[in-house]
Amino acid sequence: MSFVANLLLATVRMAIPLLFIAMGELYSERAGMVNIGLEGLAAIGSLVGFLVSFVTGNNWIGILCGALAAIAVNMIYAFATIQLCANHTVYGMAMNIFAPALASFIYRVYFGKGSDLSQIQLMKGIAIPGLKDIPFLGDLLFNQTPMVYIAFLLVIFTVIFFKSTRAGLNYKAVGENPKAAATLGIDVIKTKYLACVICGALAGIGGAYLTTCYSNTYTEGNIAGRGFIALAAVIFGRWSGGGILIACLFFGFCDALQIRLQVASIGIPYQFFQMIPYLATVLALSIIGGRKLGPKASGKPYRKEER
Amino acid sequence: MGKLRKSLTGVVVPLLSILLAILIGAIIMLCLGANPAVALKNLVIGAFGSKPNIGTTLTKSTPLIFTGLCACFAYKCGVFNLGGEGQFIVGSIAACYVTLTTGITGFPAMLLAMIAGAVAGGIWGFIPGILKITRGQNEMIISIMFNYIATLLMGVIYTNWLRDGSVPQTAAVPKESMLPRIVTGMRMTWGFVIAIVLGILIYYFLYRTSAGFRLRAVGLNPTASRFNGFPVKRFILISFIVSGAIAGLGGSVELLGTQYRLINGYASGYGFDGVAMALIGQLNPIATIVVALFFAALRAGATTMQAATGVPTSVSDIIQALVIVFTVAGMALTQLPEFTAFLQKHRREEAKKA
Repeated sequence: MSFVANLLLATVRMAIPLLFIAMGELYSERAGMVNIGLEGLAAIGSLVGFLVSFVTGNNWIGILCGALAAIAVNMIYAFATIQLCANHTVYGMAMNIFAPALASFIYRVYFGKGSDLSQIQLMKGIAIPGLKDIPFLGDLLFNQTPMVYIAFLLVIFTVIFFKSTRAGLNYKAVGENPKAAATLGIDVIKTKYLACVICGALAGIGGAYLTTCYSNTYTEGNIAGRGFIALAAVIFGRWSGGGILIACLFFGFCDALQIRLQVASIGIPYQFFQMIPYLATVLALSIIGGRKLGPKASGKPYRKEER
Repeated sequence: MGKLRKSLTGVVVPLLSILLAILIGAIIMLCLGANPAVALKNLVIGAFGSKPNIGTTLTKSTPLIFTGLCACFAYKCGVFNLGGEGQFIVGSIAACYVTLTTGITGFPAMLLAMIAGAVAGGIWGFIPGILKITRGQNEMIISIMFNYIATLLMGVIYTNWLRDGSVPQTAAVPKESMLPRIVTGMRMTWGFVIAIVLGILIYYFLYRTSAGFRLRAVGLNPTASRFNGFPVKRFILISFIVSGAIAGLGGSVELLGTQYRLINGYASGYGFDGVAMALIGQLNPIATIVVALFFAALRAGATTMQAATGVPTSVSDIIQALVIVFTVAGMALTQLPEFTAFLQKHRREEAKKA
C-alpha cells in the first residue's frame, strides 16, 4: 500500500480511542458534567480491558469489563460532584490521580515486578462483504476491527439522539438549564448520573481499545494524554457529534503522521515527531479561540432546594 | 469565629481523610496477605527510623514542595496550572545545560543554574498563561500538552544532544557544582531549605502584602476584581509565570541536589503530585509543605515496607490518591447547606442545654 493509504488507515485507527473518549465527554457535558478525569478513566479501562482479555482470552469480555471498571470509578466522581457539589475540575483532577494509581497498583500486584511483558491477541478485523471491495475507501472504512464500526455508529446515533429525539432534547436541557428542565418533569439528578455512566463506559472503552485493538500489551502511561486531547476534541468539535468526529480524525491524523515520520526519517530525534499531536492540540485550540459554545450550565452544581 | 471554624475544618477534613486512606491501605495490605501492623511499622521506620532515613524523606519531599507550591500559587489566582511537571522538567534541562556546557563550576554554577531553571520554568508557564488571556484558552489542557512536550524535549536531550556514552542519559552534574548537604550522613541538601524558605515567602506574599491580597481577590472573584480596577489579565499571566518559575527552580534544585542527571522517567508524575499536595493543603503554602512532607515520608517508608513485608510500594500511591479523593469530597461536604444547618442546629441545642 502507498504511503498515503497507510497514513489514512493509521489515522482511522488512532482516531478511534479519542473518538470514544471524546464522545464520553460529550455525553457528560451535555448533562452539565465537566469531567476532566477522562485520562484516569481511560487508564483504568485500559488496564482492566487488558487484564480480563489476558485471563479470559476474549477481547470482547475484556472491553466490557474495562467499561464497567471505568463506570465504577466514575461513580465516585458522580457522587462527589452531584451529591456533594464538589468542584468538577478539582474532582476530575483527583480522579486523574486516583485512577492511574489504582491501575498501576493492580498491574503490579497481578503481574509482579520485572516480569516479562505479557501479551494478548489483538482483536481481528472483520471485512464487511460488498462494501470492502470499494476501491480505496473499502479498506479504509470497511475492513477494520468491529470497534471502528461501533465508534462510527455511535457518532451517527449521537447526532440523531441530540438533534431529533425528545429524550435527547430533554437530556440536553439538563446541561443548558437544569432548573427549567426540572420544572418540565425531567429528573435532573438521574440524568446526571446516567451521563456519568455513559461517560465512564465510553472512556473505559476508549482506554481498552488501546490494549485490545491497538497495542497488545499494557504499559503505564499508555493513555499518553489522550484523555486531555479528547477534551480538546470536544471543544474543537464544538460539542457536536460530527464536529467531534472531524476533530478526532484530525488528531488521529497527527498521531498517524508522527508514527510514519518516525519510521521514514533518520537523523532527526524521533521525540520531535512525537510532539506533533500535542502541538497540534495547542494549535487547534488557539485557532478556534475560547468562545463559550458549550452547554450553559456545564460545571455548575445543581441543587434542588435552591430558588 | 466563622473564620476559625473554617480553618478548623480545613485541618480536620484532611486529617480524617489521611486516617481513612491509611485504613483502606491497611485493608489492602491484609488482602495481599501481609500484616498491616508490621507493614505500617516498617513504613514508619523506613521514613523516620534513622538519621539517613529522615534525610531520604526530606530529600523526597523537596520536589513535591516545589510542585505543590507551583500549583498552589496559580490556583490562588483562580487558574489551574497542571503544567508543573513540564515546568519542572524545563527547569532541570536549563540547569543541566548550565552545569554541563558552560564550564562554570562551584557556587556560581549553582546560582546560575537555579536562575536559569526558574527562567525556563517561567517561560514554560508563560505560554499557557498568554494563551489563556489572549485567546481565552483552557489553561489546563494547554499546560498539560506542554508537560508532554517538555518530557519529549528532555528525551531528545538525554538520548541525543547531551547523551553520555551508550546509556541514554546525560552526564552527571560535576561534583563541585552539586548542592551541598546540610548535615553529613543525611541526604538532604540546601535545596530543602530553599524549598521551605520559598514556601514561607509565598505565604508572606499571599497573606501579608497588598499585591498578594489582590491576587487572591482575582482568584476568588475575577468579575468583582475587574470592576475594582484590578488588572485581572495581568495578574493571571504573572501568576502563571511565577508558578512556572517556582516549578522550574524546583527542577534545577532536584537536578543539582538529588538526581544529578536527566534520564528516562525523570520527574514523572511530580506535576500532578503537586496539584494533589496543594489541594489537600487547602491551597495554603505552609500546609502544602506539611502535606508534601507527609507524602514524602509515605514514599520513603514504602521501600522499607516492601523489603520487609513484600507489600508493593504502589500501595503508598493508592493511599496518596485516596487522601485527595476523600479530602476534596470532604471539603465539599462541609460546604453543603445541609451540613452547616446541621452544625448550627447542633450548636443551638448545646446552647439550650447550657
